[in-house]
Amino acid sequence: MALQAEVDRPAPPRKAPHFLTLWKIRFPIGAIASIGHRLSGLVLLVLLPPAALALDASLRNRQSFDALFAGLHAPWTALLVLAGVWAVSHHLLAGIRHLLMDAGVGWRLAQARATAWVATLAPPIIAVTAAVVWSLR
Amino acid sequence: MRFRIYRFDPQTDQRPRMQDYDFTPGHHDRMLLDALIGLKRIDPGLSFRRSCREGVCGSDAMNINGRNGLACIHPLKDLREPVVLRPLPGFPVVRDLIVDMTQFFAHYHAIRPYLINDELPPERERLQSPAQRDKLDGLYECILCACCSGFCPSYWWNPDKFIGPAGLLQAYRFIADSRDKATSERLAFLDDVYRLYRCRSIMNCTEVCPKKLSPSHAIERIRSAMVRDSS
Amino acid sequence: MRLFSGQSAWLLQRLSAILVLLLLLLGIVNLLAAPPGYDAWRALATSTHGAVLIIVGFIAVAVHAWIGTRDVVLDYVHVPALRIAILAVVGTLLLGVLTRVALTVATALAAA
Repeated sequence: MALQAEVDRPAPPRKAPHFLTLWKIRFPIGAIASIGHRLSGLVLLVLLPPAALALDASLRNRQSFDALFAGLHAPWTALLVLAGVWAVSHHLLAGIRHLLMDAGVGWRLAQARATAWVATLAPPIIAVTAAVVWSLR
Repeated sequence: MRFRIYRFDPQTDQRPRMQDYDFTPGHHDRMLLDALIGLKRIDPGLSFRRSCREGVCGSDAMNINGRNGLACIHPLKDLREPVVLRPLPGFPVVRDLIVDMTQFFAHYHAIRPYLINDELPPERERLQSPAQRDKLDGLYECILCACCSGFCPSYWWNPDKFIGPAGLLQAYRFIADSRDKATSERLAFLDDVYRLYRCRSIMNCTEVCPKKLSPSHAIERIRSAMVRDSS
Repeated sequence: MRLFSGQSAWLLQRLSAILVLLLLLLGIVNLLAAPPGYDAWRALATSTHGAVLIIVGFIAVAVHAWIGTRDVVLDYVHVPALRIAILAVVGTLLLGVLTRVALTVATALAAA
């Protein structure tokens, strides 16, 4: 019978699919804060060697100190300030949110959502303000 | 009502596809599961798991409009159309909305989900004060539906090594139980860069738990217990 | 990677985070209190508390960055050779940063 043939047919040896299309998944605000924390950490990692070099330039002698600050007047540095200030403030705020939750503060869903909104929305505002102030000085 | 449902038949399909359906719910069709059963009358090949139809067995966990949930307790009137149904993210798809739960249950077994107490058993029960029993609230109610683990990015990236929120919640259920005497062994088993410590407190688990439990909080409690246990 | 079991790495990441937070606050307070210009900055950086703050701060950041990077790599990179390669590059980078900072501070202190 057709049905018996259906049952007897061996299953094709294929790897099972998985649904993991990330843009089809509706992420909560906590997940956004969390991926921002990871991204900002990676940005800060990339900015660490330049930071060490800038420290050196600022302390080597008066000439390199002046050269460093003269270089900071270039227009593209506003973008650096934007990215850097966003990365520092997001990583800090999200990090403090983590430390507070470890200490037992703000772990309930409603509170966690509220702090996640702050940790996600405040940093771009701070960063844009800093970049604007920087380019207007 | 319009539905878009993930379809995959391992016997005939090379890759999954989305299929559109139009279904008019009957007078008694209140929940998403009712619609699915109605749709199955139209298209008998549509496959999904279901049992209790009241949100206690956990069989019909799936991704509903982007968030995991149980089909039987999702009112149809609250669903944005088209209602997009997909299987639990990250789990191997057996067919349509049915996923392979083998790995998920393997993690559950690995955390030893039973009381371990080799002391002489008392005449009747191992007694527990009301305060001790209260500690199990928010933990014992888990129905192992996998909505949480299926929404956890850390579980998506390492489903074979990370225990996942469901397994870890159950692990804490036994760590918190005053009658269990294997706390140190349980904590030692979990003290691993993968088993427990893939958790980043993203809290996706707590967001989607249909029983309103908090696996993220249970995991925090395990971390605290570990610190206490090692100091 | 067995070197840092789950709990010790997690604790160290939290402790280094708190240290960075404290030192950052101290650093900002000191910088805002000091007058602008090369001389004031140099005096601050070569003072005992300034030099210690800079060195300990960078060490804390490097430890925190290492554990963070390892977490990211363990999540996404499942090929052992690639994993070791990335961690080796980042590890070398972080050691380079620490060396650079130590040399800068030592040179500044010597010239002071």
